[in-house]
Amino acid sequence: MKRQDHDEISAELDAHLEAHIEDNLRAGMAPDEARRAALLALGGVEATKERYRAQQRLPLIDACSRELRQAFSRLRRSPVFTVAAILSLALAIGANVSIFAVVERVVLHPLPYPDSGRLVQLDFGLPNRNTPSGFTGVSTRQYFHYAENSRTMSGIAVYWATDFTVTGQGTPERIRVAMTTPSLASVLRVAPEVGGWLPNDKPRGPAPTAVLSHGLWVRRYGADPRILGKTITLEGAPTTVVGVMPASFAFPDARVDAWIPVPFSPSPSPIDDAFNYSGVVRLKDGVSLDTMRAEINQLTQSLEAAAPDHGYGALVSTVLTLQDATVGPIAGTLWILLASAGVVLLVACANIANLFLVRSEARQQEIAIRRALGAGAGGIAGYFLAESTILSMAGGTLGVLAAWYGTRLLVTFGPASLPRLEEVHLAPIHLVFMLALTTAAAVVFAAVPLVRLGQSRVAMHDGTRGATPTRRSHRTRQALMAGQVALALMLLVASGLLLRSFVRLRALDPGFNPASALTFQIGLPRSDYARERAVRTHESILARLRALPGVTSASAVNCVPLSGLGFCGAGALFKDGEPAMPGADAARPLVAMRSVATGFFDAMGMPIVRGRNLTQTDFSGGVLSTVVNDTLVRLAFPGENPIGRRIALYPHRLGANPVWFTIVGVVKTTPTIALDEPRPVAKMYVPMDATHDFWQPTEMMTYVLRTSVPPAGLTSAARNSVNAVDPNLAPARVRTLQDYVDAAAAPRAFTMILILIAATTALVLGVIGIYGVMSYIVSQRTGEIGVRIALGAEPGNVMRMIVRQGGLVAIAGIVIGLAAAVAGSRVIASLLYDVSPRDPAVFAGTSVTLLAIALAACWIPARRAASVDPLIALRAD
Amino acid sequence: MAKTDVWQGTLALMILKTLETLGAQHGYGIARRIEQTSGHKLLVNYGTLYPALLKLEQEGYIKSSWGVSDNNRKAKFYQLTRAGKKQVEREAREWNETTAILARFLSPDEA
Repeated sequence: MKRQDHDEISAELDAHLEAHIEDNLRAGMAPDEARRAALLALGGVEATKERYRAQQRLPLIDACSRELRQAFSRLRRSPVFTVAAILSLALAIGANVSIFAVVERVVLHPLPYPDSGRLVQLDFGLPNRNTPSGFTGVSTRQYFHYAENSRTMSGIAVYWATDFTVTGQGTPERIRVAMTTPSLASVLRVAPEVGGWLPNDKPRGPAPTAVLSHGLWVRRYGADPRILGKTITLEGAPTTVVGVMPASFAFPDARVDAWIPVPFSPSPSPIDDAFNYSGVVRLKDGVSLDTMRAEINQLTQSLEAAAPDHGYGALVSTVLTLQDATVGPIAGTLWILLASAGVVLLVACANIANLFLVRSEARQQEIAIRRALGAGAGGIAGYFLAESTILSMAGGTLGVLAAWYGTRLLVTFGPASLPRLEEVHLAPIHLVFMLALTTAAAVVFAAVPLVRLGQSRVAMHDGTRGATPTRRSHRTRQALMAGQVALALMLLVASGLLLRSFVRLRALDPGFNPASALTFQIGLPRSDYARERAVRTHESILARLRALPGVTSASAVNCVPLSGLGFCGAGALFKDGEPAMPGADAARPLVAMRSVATGFFDAMGMPIVRGRNLTQTDFSGGVLSTVVNDTLVRLAFPGENPIGRRIALYPHRLGANPVWFTIVGVVKTTPTIALDEPRPVAKMYVPMDATHDFWQPTEMMTYVLRTSVPPAGLTSAARNSVNAVDPNLAPARVRTLQDYVDAAAAPRAFTMILILIAATTALVLGVIGIYGVMSYIVSQRTGEIGVRIALGAEPGNVMRMIVRQGGLVAIAGIVIGLAAAVAGSRVIASLLYDVSPRDPAVFAGTSVTLLAIALAACWIPARRAASVDPLIALRAD
Repeated sequence: MAKTDVWQGTLALMILKTLETLGAQHGYGIARRIEQTSGHKLLVNYGTLYPALLKLEQEGYIKSSWGVSDNNRKAKFYQLTRAGKKQVEREAREWNETTAILARFLSPDEA
C-alpha cells in the first residue's frame, strides 16, 4: 500500500517534469537547461514527495499517534507503575480468556455434528421414585417401538459403551467399545474417514463388524491403509474392520476406541426390557422438544400393556438437547469460574484505576496548563485514554500468551469427567473477547481520573497544600479500595465454602480403606470361557496373586466403588414372607448386586459391622449367603435384625424360582458413582460361584490387591501372574483404590483450586491496593501530620488515626462484601457438600482474616506517618 | 513586477476553478493554466500543488485517474466531482463577498 502510493507520486512527478521539459524545449531552451529549469521550478522532488506523504496521513490518526507516542514516553518514565499495571492486567485477562475459552468451547460451541441443535438425548424421570429426571436408560423394546412408531424423530440410535479385550497383532489390550445401532452415523450425520460405517442390516450377521476410532487405528495398527477388511480379534471373536472414524469423532465420549453393532437378540427376551442403552435422537424439522416429549410419553405408556411390570408406566419423558445433556451438569460450574475470573479482573482494574488517580493528581498542574492552552475535553480524555490504551493493550497481548498457557493447563489438569475438554483450544472468538475486555478496561482506567478531574477545577496556582483539595479524591480512592475489599471477600467466602465442602467430603468414611490397594480389571473373552471355567480362572489368578510378596490379601468383584460403572447389575428387592415375585413394581428398592471372590471384605478393608464375613463354605454352594450394606438394611429392614432374613432380586431366577439369599452380615455403605450421594445405593454382596447360574458378571472382574508395600510397584508382578494363567489376558485400568477416590473428588478439587487461586489473587491485589491508597494518603498528609506532631500529638495517636481511617474503609468493604456474598452464595450452593451456603464459620473466618490483613496493610504506612519528623515535613512544602 | 507566490488558501479554489473550466487536467496542466490565467503574475510552487491536489481528493471535491496526455505520456488526470462543483460555487461566492468588502475598505471614496 505504502509502496504503491510512493510509486504513484513518483510517476506523477516524473510526468510533470517531462511535460515541463518539453514545454521548455519548445520555448527554445537547450536540453540541459530545459531539464534544470524544470527541476528548479518543481522545487525539490524529494521535499514534494515528503509533503505529499504528510498530507496522505489522516489528521485524526496523526493526533492519536502523537498522543500515543507521548503517553508511551510518560509510561516509560515510571516503569514500576507500568510493569505492575501490565502484569496484573495480563494475569487477570489471561485467566478470563482461558476460562472463557473453556466455557465457549465446552458450553456454548455447538456439538461437532451437522445441525446439532436438533440432536436430542433420551432422558426420563421417575416421579414416584423421587427422580425428576436423569434416568437415561433405554430398553431394546423402547428402541424398536420408537423407531417404528415415532412421527417426531427423523432417526434414533441407542448405544452402550463397555470394555473389550482386543488380541492378536501385539499385546492383548482392553479397549473401550461402543455397541450401537448402525443408525448412529445417520442420526449424528457423520462419515468415516476411511471405508464405511457399520452395515445397516443383520446386526447379528455371521461376520461381526467394527469401525475403529482414529486413535486406535494409529496407536495399534500404525494407521495401516489396508486395514479395511482385515480381521481383528475382539473379545475372542474374529471381527472385520469396515471403517475408521475421523479423529474429531468422539461419541459418546473421547475414550471410545471402536464401534460395533448392538447384539440385539433375534427373539424377545427378558434382557430386552433392561434399560441397558442410552438413546440419541434427531428431531424432525419443525418439531419442538415439548411435542417430542408428549409423543414419547404416549409411546412409552403403550408399552406398559405389551410388557407389564417393567416400569414403563412409571417413565416420564424429560428429553433434552444432546448439548444440554453433555455439558449441562458442568455448565454452571464453568460459568461460576468465569465469574470469579471476572471479579479478579475487576479488582485488578480497581487497582490500576487507583494508580491512575495518583498519577492524575500529580499531573493536575500539567492538565491545568493544557486546559489553559485550549485543550478541550477530548484532548484531556485523549491524554488518559492514550496511557490506558497502551497499558491495556500490552496487558491484553501478554494476557493472550497467559491464556494460551492457561488453556493448556486447564486441558491437562481438568478432570477427566469434564466433557468436550479435547475440543478446547484458543480460537479467534476468544481474541475478540480479549479485545472487548481490554477495551473495557482501558475505558475504565481512563474514566476514573477523568470523572475526578471533571469535578475539580484546579488552577495553576501552587496551593495544593493541606488536605482540603484532595479530600474528594481520597473519597474516590477509598470507594475503590472498599470495592476491592468487597470483591475479594466475595471470592474468599466462595473459596472458603468450597474448601470446607472439600474437607468434609474427604473426611467422609467411604466404607472401605482406599490406602495401599492396587486394582485392575480382567475381562475373560466370552467365547473362550464358559461360566464355570471363568470362576476357576479367576480363582487361580487370585491364588497366584496372593502368593506375591507384598500382597496381604487379594480378591475380585464385578465393580469397585467409584469406578464409574454405576449400578453394575441391579434388581428390585423382595423379602421372605412376601408373596412370590410378581414383578418389579416401581416402589421396590433397587438393589445393586456385587459378585465377589473369597476374601473380598479383607482386600477392600470393609469392616463387617454386624453378623459375619462370607466364609469358604459360602463359596462352595449349598445355602446361598449374602452380606448386605447398611443402606439395604435401612430400606428393607428398618429397626429389624436383618441377619438370617432371606432376600431375592427380580428378575433373577433359577428355573422358575427366585434366587433367595440369606443375609449373614452387614457392611457399611460404599459410594457408587460419586463420593457424596444423596441417595446411596443399596448393595448385596454374593459369592461369585453362586451368581454364574442366573447372571453372568464374572466375565469382567476388578481385582483388588491389598499390599504392605507401595501398590504401584506390584503392577508388573501382577501382570506376570495373570499371564501365567492365560497369556491372552490383559489387565486393564490398573490403578489404586485411592486413584478412584481422587478421581471422584477431582471435579470438586478442580473448581475449588481455581476459585482459591482467584480468591488469593484478588486478596493480594486488594492488599496492594489498600497499601497503595494508605501510603498515598499518608504522603499527602505529611504536612498536616507534621503540624500535629509539632503541636504535641503522640506518635501512637497518629498511627491509630491512620489505621482507623483505613480500617473504617476496609470494614465498609467487608460489610458490602458480606451482603453480596450472602446474596450470591446461593449460586454455588450446587457445588457445596454438607456446608450451608451461609455457613457462619466461613463468613466470620474470611471476614476476620480479611480485616486483619487489611489492617496490616494500613499499619506500614501508619508507622511511617508516626515517624514523620515535623521539621522535615514542614520544610518539604 | 516580481512574481508572487500563490496566496495561502487560494490555491485550492484556483485548482477547482481551473478544473471547472478545463475539465479533466493533469497536475502540470493545472499549474500552467493558473500561471497563464494570472498573466504569469503568479508562480505556482509545484511542491505545494500535489499535496493540495491530494487534500482536495481526500475531501472528495476532485477525483483522479491515470490517462494519456496530449504528448502521449502517462499522466494522472484530475476532474471535479459533484461535491467539487458545489464547492467551487460556494467558495467563489464567499471569495467575491470578501473581495467586495475589502474593495470597499480600500476604495479612497469611502471615507
